Amino acid sequence: MQLRIDLHAAAFEPLVCLELWQRRLAVQGHHGGAAESLFIGRVRPAAADGAPLVALELEHYPGMTERQLRQLATACCRRHGASSCLVQHRIGRVLPGEAIVLVAIGADRRGPAQRCCQELLEALKHEAPFWKREWRRDGSSAWLTGNTPL
Amino acid sequence: MGEPSVDGIRILLFAGLREQAGWGERHWPAPAATATTLTPRQLWQALQLPGPLDSVRIAINQQFAEPDTPLQPGDELAFLPPISGG
Repeated sequence: MQLRIDLHAAAFEPLVCLELWQRRLAVQGHHGGAAESLFIGRVRPAAADGAPLVALELEHYPGMTERQLRQLATACCRRHGASSCLVQHRIGRVLPGEAIVLVAIGADRRGPAQRCCQELLEALKHEAPFWKREWRRDGSSAWLTGNTPL
Repeated sequence: MGEPSVDGIRILLFAGLREQAGWGERHWPAPAATATTLTPRQLWQALQLPGPLDSVRIAINQQFAEPDTPLQPGDELAFLPPISGG
């Protein structure tokens, strides 16, 4: 199983990451499977209470976050028989509209690819140590204590 | 009775919990080998950390653990407020 996980401290372009990933797989003679499921998450322009959002700050636990992402991705891909997995995640200060997460799963069939992509996304939202803080226009901020509904 | 180990417990707090507590990292002397077991629950109480322990998750050496898991000298203990990734 081909697996790559990166944390980005600066803005990343998901489609560029995908292209690099697919080229890398091709160079290695691995084409990621006949079905590929992708998820790109971006920062909303509004805070949880509807106020305009200036930025989202993403804190993580260096070491554990990477380890946990790797464990979650490996287990999820194994359960679904996925053949490739790319996870790109932002840390630091993320602006509205910027990508915060990219998950790309390759598998032999669309069912496993889509199910694995969704399951891994939910797993990393709840089981990988990241914390979000919303920054508002007036300079105030608040840590989020949960995820948006599915 | 020997002296407490020099390899104590490294304790980490994150995000809102760190700000509520006013610190992000502390060192706790490890108990002597003959002393009773030290657990995350005991440290949470001893450090007077804010809120109920069941409002956070616990990691020992960067793996999720239970509040009553015995700690060993040299362990890294982290209290993790509610996670929101992705």
